[in-house]
Amino acid sequence: MAQDKFKNQKFSDYSYHVIFLLGAILAIFFVVFPAFAGAQKIEGNACIACHEDIWQEAQDSVHSRNGILCQDCHGGDPTKSDPALAKSPETGFRGIPEKKQIAEICGKCHADVEFMNAYGVRTDQLERYKTSVHGKKLLIEGDHKVAVCSDCHGYHDVLPISDANSPVYPLNIPKTCNRCHGNDKLMSGYGLPTDMFEKYSKSVHGQALFEKKDFSVANCASCHGSHGAVPPGVKEISATCGKCHINEKKYFLESVHAKANEEGNFSECISCHSNHAIQKPTPALYETACVQCHDEKSDAVEQGRKISGMLYHANEKFKLTEILVKKASMEGIFVEEETASLEEAKSNVTGMAPLQHTLSIEKITDLDQQANQRFAEIEKNINQKRQNLKMRKIALIPIWIFIAVMAIVLWMKYNRLKSGK
Amino acid sequence: MSMKNIISHWINERFEVEKIKGPLKKQLEKPLPGHVSWFHTLGSMSFFLFISQVLTGILLLVYYRPTVDEAFQSVKFITTQAYMGWLYRQIHAWGANLMIIIVFLHMLRTFVTGSFKKPREITWIIGVFLFILTLVFGFTGYLLPWNQLAYWATTVGTEIAGAIPFVGEWIKTLLRGGPNVGGETLSRFFVVHVIILPWAVFFLIAIHLFFVRWQGIATMDPVDQAKEPKPEKSIPFFPHHALKEGIVFFILLGWMITLSVLMPFELGEVANPLVTPLAIKPEWYFLPMYQVIKYFSKLAGIFVVSLAPLFLLVWPFLDKSKERHPLKRPVSMTIGVLVVFSLLFFGFLGHFSESKRRILGKEYEFDIYGKPHVVSGDGIQQEGKK
Repeated sequence: MAQDKFKNQKFSDYSYHVIFLLGAILAIFFVVFPAFAGAQKIEGNACIACHEDIWQEAQDSVHSRNGILCQDCHGGDPTKSDPALAKSPETGFRGIPEKKQIAEICGKCHADVEFMNAYGVRTDQLERYKTSVHGKKLLIEGDHKVAVCSDCHGYHDVLPISDANSPVYPLNIPKTCNRCHGNDKLMSGYGLPTDMFEKYSKSVHGQALFEKKDFSVANCASCHGSHGAVPPGVKEISATCGKCHINEKKYFLESVHAKANEEGNFSECISCHSNHAIQKPTPALYETACVQCHDEKSDAVEQGRKISGMLYHANEKFKLTEILVKKASMEGIFVEEETASLEEAKSNVTGMAPLQHTLSIEKITDLDQQANQRFAEIEKNINQKRQNLKMRKIALIPIWIFIAVMAIVLWMKYNRLKSGK
Repeated sequence: MSMKNIISHWINERFEVEKIKGPLKKQLEKPLPGHVSWFHTLGSMSFFLFISQVLTGILLLVYYRPTVDEAFQSVKFITTQAYMGWLYRQIHAWGANLMIIIVFLHMLRTFVTGSFKKPREITWIIGVFLFILTLVFGFTGYLLPWNQLAYWATTVGTEIAGAIPFVGEWIKTLLRGGPNVGGETLSRFFVVHVIILPWAVFFLIAIHLFFVRWQGIATMDPVDQAKEPKPEKSIPFFPHHALKEGIVFFILLGWMITLSVLMPFELGEVANPLVTPLAIKPEWYFLPMYQVIKYFSKLAGIFVVSLAPLFLLVWPFLDKSKERHPLKRPVSMTIGVLVVFSLLFFGFLGHFSESKRRILGKEYEFDIYGKPHVVSGDGIQQEGKK
């Protein structure tokens, strides 16, 4: 037994050594060797001898860092120092690729699952691009003015999308799209507006992205897609907005507008909220949105006003109650229960926002009543607590009268005793 | 036969109360020296505060739970739900603070009137121990609500104890019950606060009072030349002096209730070992010590602040002049005045240190040593200014 134990022990020690050694070899293989190999590849690369300026651009790109060099996109043989040999037809040299070729060249690697798997990058970009307006225009109609991979990602200096300097970093996407879509001359050919960037920048989404650096908000690609860029059709808008605004979409489908949308008479979210210039919605939106389709004196507009009123009052009441709780807390009153109750009321008020898309007064009233009940309860509790504190202070008056009487009586007794001695 | 007489007769038959009536009367009516003033009520007020602390402490114990999970919530329950809980919690908290002030003033009075001198050296030493135990009461009780300030003040306090040479680490672990302030610390502080200290203080007060009654209140006569108080210049303890104590008692009680109502102690936030609040400071009565420690290295600081209680204890043997009257003891009085002023000075310095305040229209930032630096509008320090 002891011997077995010894053997096991020895084996265990031995295995540790082997694992350590293998680890060290793997580290050398994965870290040192590629760098060394890359260096060798660059040293022997004849392209750089003449195109040093391009190498300056390309050397920090994600491709160069991963050993994807000139010949991988442009063809040619970089081992030949003679330019004529290096660019001979046998080497597959293609020079500056045509726009149509670019998608295919990029797709050579980026659509290769086996190759891209090591980098954890998706491989459907080329297929998606082919379905996009950009892709169809370029590949089918031969329109060379539309965007291809390099227009958005860059040429020699392609950076990972997680790099803040990349043109497709979430913060930079609107500016990148605007390079073409903000160009009047270019867009006039397609009959497209060019004020989207300006509108977007002022929108609730744009402000959140540019000012708060909130990358979770919608940018151009969130709604229009990136590689599969296509403008959402009338029936797809709720699907696009609904990716983030799930509850709004759910409740909208319960509303009377859902049917109008089915019939193609209503343009879902954008009918009321607009698209690129979308602002933070307030109850006041009803005043301007409903009358776009309905008569000002119609029942529908009246219903909208009722909902708007409820939302407005619920929000105002919430703000006032929040201030009341904060003030009470600053006065030294324990407001833990009231704060919890206020949170519940907040859920009710917040819940009214998506629920309003049903346009059902009954449903909204239900939440509104729950919120109002909580507001009233909070107010009552805080007033009660304030009253208690006030009573404590008032109680000091009789206490001090009693103390003064006692002190005077004792003092008189003391003086009487002292003088009587 | 009235009910009173029936009860009196019943007791006398069994305990011969008549026999102790004489000595009791003698004690109660013992004449007090003529110089006995309102300041001589401070001892009784200290005792009254101790009783008040015990009573409110018992009420707090009804709901208090000394565990990390429940301590804060139980104190919150006392403050918000328990009947009159807010009042007895506040009276307990204010009583603790007032007790430290009153006990200190009582010691100061004893020092000024030279009452600590022969033959009352032991009474003084017991008094010093009572003062120290009152501070320990404060230190241990401060942790019990288990709020942020308490947690971190205790962390700093026990850390300082850890700096004592040789035994520091042992003392720190003994206090904390582990490497950090946690549930074990809370249990230990609780036991010390509600069991050990009350009984220790109770017995020390009993001995202290026994000596006071036995040896009598010191006169202003020089040592070994004390004369019996002349009847025409003295007043009996009861009822004359007791009436004065009654007056002070009512006023003190009124103040405690008033402070509890108008300036209640906030409970703050529950202790969180992962979030350190800015500028953690101990309670005001430890501020002078805390501030002095900052000017020395850790070891020297401990040495310097431990000199204070040592000097207090041995003071009767250092100040051996026969005179008791303060004007005839200029050196002692100068030292006493300097000590009081330095306590106030370092206390305020500690209070102002590590804070930003606006004084006479200018914004000052006080550094860790309490040195003010003028801060410009944009928050940049401009100059050092002592």
